[in-house]
Amino acid sequence: MSAVLRKVCVTRQASALSQALAACWAARPLQHPVWAPVNTRHYRSMPTHGIGRWRHLVPKEKTKKKKDKIQMKEILGETDTAYGSLNVTVSGYDMTLVEHYSQYIHNLCHRLAIKVAESYILPTKTTEVMLMQEKGTKMFVDAVLKTHQRVVQLSSLDATACPVLLDVLLQNQPEGVELCVSQHTEAHFQARFKGRPELEGLIAQLTY
Amino acid sequence: MAAPCRRMASVTLLYFRSCFRRTAVGSAGVRQLSTTSVCGVTLQTKSRTEKPPSPWTLMAAVCLQRLPVISADCSPVEQRFRQMLQQMELEKSLVSEHELRLLEDAERLSRKQADDYDSDDEGSHGDQDIVLAQDLEDSWEQKLQTFQPGLRVNADADEDLTSLERCLADPLVLVAEQQVGGDKLWLLPQTQWQEGETLRQTAERALNSLPAGLKATFLGNAPCGVYKYKLPKAARTESTVGTKVFFFKAILSDSGAPAAPSASLLWAKKSELQRYLKPAYMMKVDRFVLAL
Repeated sequence: MSAVLRKVCVTRQASALSQALAACWAARPLQHPVWAPVNTRHYRSMPTHGIGRWRHLVPKEKTKKKKDKIQMKEILGETDTAYGSLNVTVSGYDMTLVEHYSQYIHNLCHRLAIKVAESYILPTKTTEVMLMQEKGTKMFVDAVLKTHQRVVQLSSLDATACPVLLDVLLQNQPEGVELCVSQHTEAHFQARFKGRPELEGLIAQLTY
Repeated sequence: MAAPCRRMASVTLLYFRSCFRRTAVGSAGVRQLSTTSVCGVTLQTKSRTEKPPSPWTLMAAVCLQRLPVISADCSPVEQRFRQMLQQMELEKSLVSEHELRLLEDAERLSRKQADDYDSDDEGSHGDQDIVLAQDLEDSWEQKLQTFQPGLRVNADADEDLTSLERCLADPLVLVAEQQVGGDKLWLLPQTQWQEGETLRQTAERALNSLPAGLKATFLGNAPCGVYKYKLPKAARTESTVGTKVFFFKAILSDSGAPAAPSASLLWAKKSELQRYLKPAYMMKVDRFVLAL
């Protein structure tokens, strides 16, 4: 009796379920069933399979090992119509002025479609201004001045763009800030690295 | 003559190492410039087939600019904004070392003058008792009184158009009165191009031919503007249709001894250029003279 009853109940439930399912599918024919988890991908035969994939479009980044030496970016030579790699150095005592001016130069180069290879900071130089005491021979520290330097390295500057860029930079140069445009050489690049006196001593011993 | 254009392309460009320093002290109110050229200009003349000479006479002119010496004054809106920002920064800032020292000294002084003062309770501040921070401030204040800043606006010099010290906040352009064709005209100093030299060398020659000994740094080998002038139909011949003037930009470096002001040379702001240059010429010059 109970078995028959159970069967009836089960079948009734099954039919109810199938009706519910049918209703569900009728109402939202192209969407996921509600109880499916959110992160299942579309089935491979669905036309939208793989929609949203983007990692295959981004170029693969080479994983940097810590032992790798920093490679120098290629120094472009000059051609008939363009200057090669140039260093625009901004230096001064007031750090806010120097930084803002170097940022202005960088943004201006973006605007004028001039390629900027690198933009880096050289170490700050501290100068102590010593004054002689009025009555006596001892010198005492009057002021401590710090010279800040920012470098914007341009990869190539067109000869037609050069006078325009320089004119704008010079007209907007703030007071107390020094602007210097020079050719970029390997010596400039090597000067940024710290010296290693022990290594050099050992090498000297080896070659001696 | 298509020669100059091709020669421009084949000339290797000057490498330049130029330092532009902007200091408040200028001997003639002029920014200090120093240039050292690393490699000179080398001219590669290619053997070219004979071409019929072009009917245009070529000239090169120099747009010599004296850059502004001081920064321009802020407009009223900028001044108010600047004041507001300064106040905000002051309110958000922390007390500096010097100000801390001032507070400590004041507190110590008040403790010393109290009735129940015990000097043994003090820590070892021997040095700081001798020179108080307030004394330092007073001595700095005294030094500031002896400093005289230079005048920002010199009304007399502003009126004199030939003086180099006029309008220190604006860039000035050199205008010269030269003989062109039969009349004397006000224009940027120019001279005719000769065979065998680059247009930039022509511009340098134009600058050197002026009576005042002005030293300038040219900003590049490429011209910044061009003006085409067609002769009136009556004066046109087969060989000359008109002139083309190419403009080169240069910045005035430290001019040597101030030469005697001559009536044919003027330093004009961009707004004043209109008074001296012809309208068609002015339209072309307007495009490259920057007055920021």
